[in-house]
Amino acid sequence: MRESLSPKRLEGSGRWLLKIFTGLLIVVFLGIHFVVNHLVAPGGLLTYADVVAYFQNPIIVVMEISFLILVVIHSFLGLRSILLDLNPSPMVLRVVNFVLVVIGAVAVIYGAWLALTIAGRG
Amino acid sequence: MPNQPEANNWPRWFDPRSRSLGTFGFILNRVTALGLTLYLLMHLIALGQLARGADAYDGFIALVKNPLFKLGELLVIAAGVIHGLNGIRIALNSFGIGVRCQKGTFIALMLIALFIIAFFTFKMFSEG
Repeated sequence: MRESLSPKRLEGSGRWLLKIFTGLLIVVFLGIHFVVNHLVAPGGLLTYADVVAYFQNPIIVVMEISFLILVVIHSFLGLRSILLDLNPSPMVLRVVNFVLVVIGAVAVIYGAWLALTIAGRG
Repeated sequence: MPNQPEANNWPRWFDPRSRSLGTFGFILNRVTALGLTLYLLMHLIALGQLARGADAYDGFIALVKNPLFKLGELLVIAAGVIHGLNGIRIALNSFGIGVRCQKGTFIALMLIALFIIAFFTFKMFSEG
């Protein structure tokens, strides 16, 4: 059963390692994201005013954007792993890579814009 | 013949026979991954209401207090807990740690996941 422990074919060890490390970091960041968003703020960040006030701390802005980048990298590499199991042709794989990179980049840019916009409304 | 996944024999993906516990762990990880990715995109789009101002966002929050949305949120928590705990096991096993006891670790982690999910179910639905 040794093969099942090795990185997936076509994935490459670099991407596989990145997926593992981003995954472990997400566990840490998600814990912070959850505790801060739901427990530190009394009753949670449930109003627009609460969210704007929360984003006035620059550390929070940096943390939320970093968290988004980690999640996007991990989830899109994971999605690619699942698609690789369908044995795509090299041509299809190129399209898959392109689409995932574009959607991932748009998600990060949009999320960062949103975080900075909210931070700027204080 | 072992029940191996093949792209051109997809109906067999849904056949639970001749599969090991590890395969169920694998399936659970993939299914929760797809759910969490879908949630990530929905979460980003929904938070876009913040850019539209206080009325838009506060109106949206009032909408998601509906029990149907709460059930959806509970599914996200369940998927996150299962994927996260199982993922820690995969990361450790990938570096050769705990490979021999991975079955026991998987069962133990999934029991912990069940406990956490039960806690959130109680917490989310008892507050009304």
